[in-house]
Amino acid sequence: MAYTRDEIFNKLSDFVAQQFIVEKDEINMDESLIDQGVIDSLGLIEITTFIEKQFGVTVVEEDMTRENFGSMNKMVDHIFRAVNK
Amino acid sequence: MTDNIKRCTKCVLSASFPNINFDENGVCNFCRDEMYHTADEDVLDKSKEEIIRRFESGKGKSQYDAVMCYSGGKDSTYTLMLAVEKYGLNVLAFTFDNGFISPVAFENINRVAESLNVDLLTIRPSLKFMKKLIRASSFNPVYTKRTLTRISSNCNSCITMVNILALRMALEKKIPFILAGFTLGQIPLNTIIYKNNYRFFQDSRKPILDKLRKAVGDEIDKYMCIDEPLLDSVTEDPYNVNLLCIEEISEEKILEKIRKTGWTQPEDVDGCSSNCRLNAFNNFIHEQTLGYNPYELELSHLIKNDLLTREEALEKIQDKSETQVNAIIEELNITPDELSSLKEIYKKK
Ligand SMILES: [Zn+2]
Repeated sequence: MAYTRDEIFNKLSDFVAQQFIVEKDEINMDESLIDQGVIDSLGLIEITTFIEKQFGVTVVEEDMTRENFGSMNKMVDHIFRAVNK
Repeated sequence: MTDNIKRCTKCVLSASFPNINFDENGVCNFCRDEMYHTADEDVLDKSKEEIIRRFESGKGKSQYDAVMCYSGGKDSTYTLMLAVEKYGLNVLAFTFDNGFISPVAFENINRVAESLNVDLLTIRPSLKFMKKLIRASSFNPVYTKRTLTRISSNCNSCITMVNILALRMALEKKIPFILAGFTLGQIPLNTIIYKNNYRFFQDSRKPILDKLRKAVGDEIDKYMCIDEPLLDSVTEDPYNVNLLCIEEISEEKILEKIRKTGWTQPEDVDGCSSNCRLNAFNNFIHEQTLGYNPYELELSHLIKNDLLTREEALEKIQDKSETQVNAIIEELNITPDELSSLKEIYKKK
């Protein structure tokens, strides 16, 4: 399924806001969600599973890096690349 | 039975729970909000299907099919039964002895392992270390407020060690599955089954590890880290599977089933635990620091899913024994000054 970057961003930020009880404008989109205290390691597991189920993107070991998951924008970019491969 | 705490009239979340608000009928936003209920079925079904598929293809390839984090509590006892009897897995039961396990729970652990014919391995850090760690996670803001919406600080320290030790065992013995007795409400829906990539997730534990190292020293690494050579030898990451989450079963039914293995309820633990003497103390610390009981979210989930009545949940939350709390305060030599510092821990910063 094709998604625009905006669609991915909206779906992911809705999920994060709802799941981790946080307002969207409280999140810094370029900073690590862990460093901001939005998620812990269980939260990281939740997000990766959500990405797999929602966007059909299999997160393989090589993808599990800070580069791909280090911030909201990085995650969105990673998903966008993966769905449009 | 009542306490003077304002709670949602449908679930048991209290006014001190983060981001809560109540409508004119006293119903909380978590009960009202559609978002917290929908899509559950779909994720559950997918997880169920994935578990069955992965078990089928992963079984019978190693010395053990699964390592089970076995606390001796009612949920992990039932989960161990499911693993052996329903899924036919060859399980290694692993018990982490934090030094505060109820003696009756230990009898249960041995009896159940024997009755299910599984191997049992126990790891017990020194009591000196455990006491240091419990003090550290009681009196420092080790975890984020968000983490603590589901679990008390001390429980989280133990569970983090259990998870890492189980993962290390799985990697050493090439065991494909790691099982635990968590229920939905204790863990999020999206974590019923997941691939456990140590390096990836360890990065997210760095903030807590740094804080714990500062408080108890590098000895924490023995229980919360895995050595590089072992990690380098990994060819396939194991899957963590929380089997109990895909069962729809009431506590009453669980108790009925596990009693057949000879399991009995320990008397020296509080209403929310069935194995650990620390639990009453952990809840006390949580209530003092954050103002609510760490089991509110889990119990509310059970109420929403008709697996527990609101009255039963309230009874559990209110079943707290001062005797148990004081016994631990004494064993850990906690001072009145330390206790009065609790309210400030999460206010700073
Ligand atoms: Zn409610």
